[in-house]
Amino acid sequence: MGKRFVIGSVGALCVILAVVLANPPNAAAHGEAADEPFLKNMTTAFFNVSVSPTEIEVGEPVRVTGSVKILETWPHTLETPEIASIMPVVPGPVFVLKERFVNGTAAIGSFFAQKGGIYEFEMELVGKEPGDWHVHPGIAVYGTGTLIGPGEWVTVKPSDEPFSFPLTLMSGETIELSTYGGAFVWWWSFAGFVLGFIWILYWTTNKRTVTNLAVTVQLPVNDDAPDIGLITPRDHMWMNVIVGVTLVMLVVGWTYATSNAPVRWPQQTDWFTPEFISSGEKMAEARASGATYDEASETLEMKVQVTNVIQSDIALKQLTIAMATFVNGPEAEQAKAGPSDFVGRLEVQPDGPIAPGENKELTLTISSSIFSEERLIPTQAPQQFIGAVLRFENGNDGHEFVTVRSNVVPTQFRSTYLP
Amino acid sequence: MATETTTVTDLAEAAERQRRLELKELLNKKYKWIDWKWDLVFWTTAVFVVAGAADITKQLFAGDWDFWTDWKDPQWWPVVTAFATIIIPSTLQYIQWTAWRFPTGATYTACCLFFAAWVGRYFQWDLAATYPMNFVWPASVVCAGILMDWTLMKTKSFILTSLIGAHVWAIAVWAYNYVPLAAFLQPAHFMDHVVTVADVQGIAYIRSQTPEYLRLIERGALRSFLGETQYVSLAFAGTAAFVGYWIGQFIGRYLAVWPIRRYLKTM
Repeated sequence: MGKRFVIGSVGALCVILAVVLANPPNAAAHGEAADEPFLKNMTTAFFNVSVSPTEIEVGEPVRVTGSVKILETWPHTLETPEIASIMPVVPGPVFVLKERFVNGTAAIGSFFAQKGGIYEFEMELVGKEPGDWHVHPGIAVYGTGTLIGPGEWVTVKPSDEPFSFPLTLMSGETIELSTYGGAFVWWWSFAGFVLGFIWILYWTTNKRTVTNLAVTVQLPVNDDAPDIGLITPRDHMWMNVIVGVTLVMLVVGWTYATSNAPVRWPQQTDWFTPEFISSGEKMAEARASGATYDEASETLEMKVQVTNVIQSDIALKQLTIAMATFVNGPEAEQAKAGPSDFVGRLEVQPDGPIAPGENKELTLTISSSIFSEERLIPTQAPQQFIGAVLRFENGNDGHEFVTVRSNVVPTQFRSTYLP
Repeated sequence: MATETTTVTDLAEAAERQRRLELKELLNKKYKWIDWKWDLVFWTTAVFVVAGAADITKQLFAGDWDFWTDWKDPQWWPVVTAFATIIIPSTLQYIQWTAWRFPTGATYTACCLFFAAWVGRYFQWDLAATYPMNFVWPASVVCAGILMDWTLMKTKSFILTSLIGAHVWAIAVWAYNYVPLAAFLQPAHFMDHVVTVADVQGIAYIRSQTPEYLRLIERGALRSFLGETQYVSLAFAGTAAFVGYWIGQFIGRYLAVWPIRRYLKTM
């Protein structure tokens, strides 16, 4: 054994031990930062998202509510959105999903979606595995993938009671979903394995294997050579017995299963068109006339031309980009806008109401680390655009969501020496 | 002239009898260095290679159908599972029949696959990812393996085995796994819908990156064959398994055995 081999082996062992013993932290994100910015900010906007409560015990519920709008700015490089599904984005089944409504309709599956559509969701999760879990809502769009909303850490504490998921069948019987049928599946599969194992044992213990080759190479492939002793009548007899037992087992199993579950349906599917939800009373026309992004200070500045088209004052209260909402208001209002990690302050200049019929150019300024953490703003991309949803309010509890699209110009251009 | 022909035939038959007697002796010959330990080493080490090949092939062609109960539907599941699972058993059937005249290739692969699939599901899916085993159990093909090996033993022909055995395989894979699946097809009330227990598992146990619309199951179509999709699927599954069988034979003849023969010849 060479010296280099020993040193290499010891080195490799050290690296493996270091990786194992270093106890790396759990991955907290879901990979959304790796997505291109256009895939987030031009496709959807999540607002009014709430994940509550954030501390539960195993078996207790968490409600995830909010809205997502499929933006009119949907990128031309993606398939037009037609089918979607809203679901919680969590690290595996650490929760179970007990309820899901989309625009007030119970949603077991997917729904037909369109650009401009607003989808209010309400999901009830029940804690299954103890731990700290990051819970997001997400919308999967056919041809695009899962687009993620703002998330919240939820702590699931162990409970004295083990997790249970009772489900009532149409027959009236109540089953425990976590374990139902599991033992039978295992023992049934194992019984088949035992038969197969006996089949293999018969051939490998009664006959030699490797040395048979010297004989079989001298015979045609369809010659089983009973006279030589390769496959004898005795072999046939025992194999017939095993096949007979297999068939009997199949008939008995089938009879048991079908009499135990006499009513069986094919898996169910339900795709529906959700009730229409309006963007709100028409109160403003808005058009973005350009934006800049300063990477060093993580500051986005956007200019928007707004015209008030109703007979009362309106004001710009919120701007949503992908999963992040920025509020033109005090901290109390910001706290209501969504999970705190995905909410920031929106500065509007000039601030204040926009009078009926007035046309105003607003300068919107946002400084937030979420731009870089979630890679929301393109700085060097084939699509140098962002999409955003503006929320205008009047004094009578009315509101309107208006989608704007703007190109983004970085304030600093970085030199790159590699492609 | 007739006597001469008879004599030649007799001589040929006698020579063939002699040759077969010699082969019988060769079959029972005691080798000094090659004993049962070689056989044991061979069969045990092959478990991992065969299990890996069979499991990867199954996951490649029928992954989701095998992973989840809510994908095990009447239309797609019988077809893709029969096709995906027959390929490597067919390969092993060719190798073990031609090399040792053992009708064991399909059963051996099925047993190896049972081992690999259950170990994978339990450690990766149940323990690590916390999906319950009654949702992610793998289909078993041991029963189908026994029946296909038996077909080969009786017919002594790969062509007949592909014609008969592949259809037997398709029906046996479906029938054997329908037994444990039946309980999961019972209707239940959930989320204001009547759905099967399997559907409830699919909805409740969250798969964030596998949205429902990706599920390839029977969704209802004009071509419903008077509601008898299941039987049409099974007939097609037999055809698909026939194709899979010959893909397996190709792997056995040209990718697995042929290079070894070439190597032996050069020696």
